[in-house]
Amino acid sequence: MSIHAVMAPDVLFHIGPFVVTNSMLTAWVVMIFLVGVSLLATRRMSVVPESRLQNLMELIVEFLLDLAEKTAGSQVGRRVFPLVATLFIFILTANWFGILPGVGTIKLVDPHHPEHAAPLFRAATSDLNMTIAMALIVIVIVQVLGVTTNGVRGYLRELSTPLLLTPIHLIGELSHVISLSARLFGNIFGGEVLLAVMFALVPYFVPVVFMGLEMFFGFIQALIFSVLAIVYISLAASGHGSEEHAGAH
Amino acid sequence: MTDDGLIRLAAGLAIGLGAIGPGLGIGIAVSKAMEAIGRNPETENAVRSTMILGAGLAEAVAIYAFVIALILSLVV
Repeated sequence: MSIHAVMAPDVLFHIGPFVVTNSMLTAWVVMIFLVGVSLLATRRMSVVPESRLQNLMELIVEFLLDLAEKTAGSQVGRRVFPLVATLFIFILTANWFGILPGVGTIKLVDPHHPEHAAPLFRAATSDLNMTIAMALIVIVIVQVLGVTTNGVRGYLRELSTPLLLTPIHLIGELSHVISLSARLFGNIFGGEVLLAVMFALVPYFVPVVFMGLEMFFGFIQALIFSVLAIVYISLAASGHGSEEHAGAH
Repeated sequence: MTDDGLIRLAAGLAIGLGAIGPGLGIGIAVSKAMEAIGRNPETENAVRSTMILGAGLAEAVAIYAFVIALILSLVV
C-alpha cells in the first residue's frame, strides 16, 4: 500500500527562473474558473435577477456581506468586505476543487525518470506556500491599518504598553500568520491524506462519506479563515480599542 | 532504538497527545450548545453556527499537532 503524501508540491516545469508547481497550476485554474463565472453572472444584470446564476451570486455575496457586517459593524464591515469575500470565495473553491476526480490522480510522467510521476493538479490550499501567502496578506493589512488608525506613535505605544511584554506582543502578532496558515493547510492536506488512506482501505462506497465530510470541512475552514480575518482587521481598524476587545472575546 | 524509529514515535505521540485537548474542548462546546438548544429551542440556528465556528477553532489545535507530526514524518 503506497500513499502519495508529500508536503512540498511537485515541480511541473520552469518558466525562466520561476518554478511552476502543480498547486500553482490548480490555483490558476480556480482563478480562471472564478473570473469566468463572475463574467457570466454579471453579463446581463438586472435589478430583479432573471438568470439563476445572478441569483446564486447575489445569495453568496449577501451571505458574506451579512457576515462581515455582523462581525465588524456596518462601517468597518463594508470596508473589509471586498477582501474577505474574495478570500472566502477563493478558499472555498480551491478546497472543493481538491475533491474533484482527476485532481491528484492524473500524473505527469517524466520520460527521463519514469519512476517519478508528479500529479498534474493538487488542491491549491493543500500547499503551505499558498496559505502562508494569504495569511501574510491579512496580517500586513492588519499592521498597516493599525499604523494608519493610531498613527506610528500610537501603534508603537500599543505594542509596548507594558514595556516588558513587547517581545510577547511581537510574537503574538507573528503567530497569527502561523495559526491562520497552518490551520487551513493542515485541514485540507490532512483531509487529502485521510481520503487517500480510505481509498486504499475500502475502495468502494465508504470514501463517499469522507468526501462529504471534506466538503463540509472545506466550507468551515473557508468560513473560519474569513471570520478571523474580519476580526483581526476590525480590531486593528477600531483604533485604540484592542485591549477592551481582547477582554470581551 | 534507531533515529528513524524515534522520529516515528515522536510523530505518533505528537498527534496522539495533541488530539486529547481539542477532543475534550469540542466535547464541552457541543454539550453546552445542546444544553442551550434544549433550554431555548428557538435559538437553534444561532447556537449551531457559533458552535461550529468554535469547534473549528478548537480543532485547529489538533491540526497544529497534525502538521508537526507531518513535518516529523515527511520532512525531517
